[in-house]
Amino acid sequence: MTNKDTEQKIRQAFSNAVPDIRDSILSDCKTKKGAVIIMTDTNKKTLWARRLAGIAAAFVLLIGGLAGFQIYRANYSVASTVSLDVNPSIEIQVNKKEQVLSVTPRNEDAKIVVGDMDFKGSSLDVTINALIGSMLRNGYLNELANSILISVDSQDPAKSAELKERLASEINAVLQTGTFNGAVLSQTISADSNLRDLADTYGITLGKAQLIQQIIAQNAFYSFEDLVPLSINELNLLTESGNLNLSNVSSLGTASDKAYIGEEKAMELALSHAGVPAESLSEYELELDYEHGTMVYEVEFDCEGFEYDYELDAVTGAILKNQKEATGANTTSSQPHHNPGHTNIVPEHASYIGEAQAREVALSHAGLSADAVTAYQHHLDHEHNTMVYEIEFHCQGFEYDYEIDAYTGAILKHEKDQDDNYIPPQTDSSQHPSDGSGSYIGEARAKEIALSHAGVSVEAIYNYEFDLDDDDGIMIYELKFETESCEYEYEIHAVDGSILKYEWDEKD
Amino acid sequence: MIICLTSANDSGGELDSSRLEQCLLGVAHEDSQALKELYDCTSASVYAFALSILKNTQDAEDVLHDCYLHIYSGASGYRSFGKPMAWILTIARNLCLLKLRDRKRFSQTPLEDWEPYLKACEAASPEDRIILTECMKRLSDEERQIIVLHAVAGFKHRETAKLLQLPLSTVLSKYNRAMKKLENDIGKEY
Repeated sequence: MTNKDTEQKIRQAFSNAVPDIRDSILSDCKTKKGAVIIMTDTNKKTLWARRLAGIAAAFVLLIGGLAGFQIYRANYSVASTVSLDVNPSIEIQVNKKEQVLSVTPRNEDAKIVVGDMDFKGSSLDVTINALIGSMLRNGYLNELANSILISVDSQDPAKSAELKERLASEINAVLQTGTFNGAVLSQTISADSNLRDLADTYGITLGKAQLIQQIIAQNAFYSFEDLVPLSINELNLLTESGNLNLSNVSSLGTASDKAYIGEEKAMELALSHAGVPAESLSEYELELDYEHGTMVYEVEFDCEGFEYDYELDAVTGAILKNQKEATGANTTSSQPHHNPGHTNIVPEHASYIGEAQAREVALSHAGLSADAVTAYQHHLDHEHNTMVYEIEFHCQGFEYDYEIDAYTGAILKHEKDQDDNYIPPQTDSSQHPSDGSGSYIGEARAKEIALSHAGVSVEAIYNYEFDLDDDDGIMIYELKFETESCEYEYEIHAVDGSILKYEWDEKD
Repeated sequence: MIICLTSANDSGGELDSSRLEQCLLGVAHEDSQALKELYDCTSASVYAFALSILKNTQDAEDVLHDCYLHIYSGASGYRSFGKPMAWILTIARNLCLLKLRDRKRFSQTPLEDWEPYLKACEAASPEDRIILTECMKRLSDEERQIIVLHAVAGFKHRETAKLLQLPLSTVLSKYNRAMKKLENDIGKEY
């Protein structure tokens, strides 16, 4: 069913449901006309006066009507929407006269802030003052978290900008309390449908959605989901610390990092852990960042030919990650531990199995010896909510790709794919680019091969997809299926039944 | 195609702007034939739009009635911008807003009375009833107005956005969301 069909049905349904009042309208119109005619007939002398009076009356009515409509619009229609985000997110709709039409709490914290206060009809200033007072009382704004985001959405861009400026400075003044100073971010919103969808999906205000979007645009390492749970103070800190330049967002004051150990302390902890005296530092970088669901300080410094890289929990100061690497290293070396001058990543966590063992796991799984593989690469990465070794190598025209759990050595993902750049030593002359379909092994056999290779029974799989495809002149069966825990993809040679590629990936 | 043409005629002919303008011109000269034709061509749109705002068939019928009286007395003031339908529906919308204001003033809770009305409406087929019920029940007010303006009044989304004073992007996304809702249900039934 297409949109057109549906629209057609809707049109017809409404057409059929229209009450037939044509005749009553016609007769009412006639009476109107008749009345006019009677008047002109009986009162010829006062015709002009009456006409004038009529016209005047019509004008009065018209103007009255217009005025009424304007008053209606000024009083009841939403002229601007102002949202306040701290962690409580509140949306305030006001009319043209800046009287409040509605105050909507957008999350649980906001409900506490709004409480049973009724703002309908009060002025915007009073409402915002009361809300901020309540946020202070309820401890949502304090010296540990002092940032507030004001977003203004109005159909009139000039009005938006003016309102934004005014509210920002007013709120900033309110937040210069005896114990702490506030940090005010303010922006105007240009709400597109995409932004609205995001805001709806995550249950946040348009303002917060827009702020997050801007941060992501500047720093591709963050994803939208990552940042949704953060408070405005945390987002503000990320922006300041990462030196992000958000267009359209004005900022007053600085975000409080008093809830965290602070940059100095983070530096001190990292240095003392590394056993490096502060004086001997040649270069260092320090940044507050958000990773793996926590706020962290990232500390990087060089000392005596080594590069140190630390991540510290911003609240507790615990060292989450530490790396020490010889500078000028070649990260693709395959012999990390015994080659001074080459890569020397020493994972802090003694509980990691180490790159050598991860490589062994991958090679033995692939059934290959270390000398047979080429283009060996590895690195430590964070995936599937855990630390993994990503290991890649080539062998005899295939590309292997493994992810090995850094703690347990379990294989979390493996892929074997044809190496497109591989030139085989001698080409097999018996290649058959387009064999007759009679010689294909058939779907049933292909499925059997894939299932037995994956070690799953046919009952356990679902979302099974099957396709016969021409891949550079070789006919292949493409199979995809899922089990409770994994997703599988196979490419099977349609003629000889060999597995050309397989991939399985654990579901998160 | 044939079905399409016949039903377009059922709904009162295509909403051809220049034809409508001629009708309005006739109405301005108190030509009751022109008013008849105008009513036949546009009443479905006016009624559907009013119903989509007011959700009350009695009120919608009042607006339908008053709207044509306004058109009748105001047609001579109509200036051609090539958008007679937008002119007519602006009148309809203003009348609806007045109704809503009256409701507020007299704190009448609007009765959503379309269900018994639909049952009594003989011209509507069972399928029509299902579709109308879906439109009234499943869609938000704004979604319903957007759908009606597009499907019944033949408005372009741009024109809808102007009439409802919404951003075009909002109209587009709401239209798509509403169509998806309706297609799921109407598509399932048939």
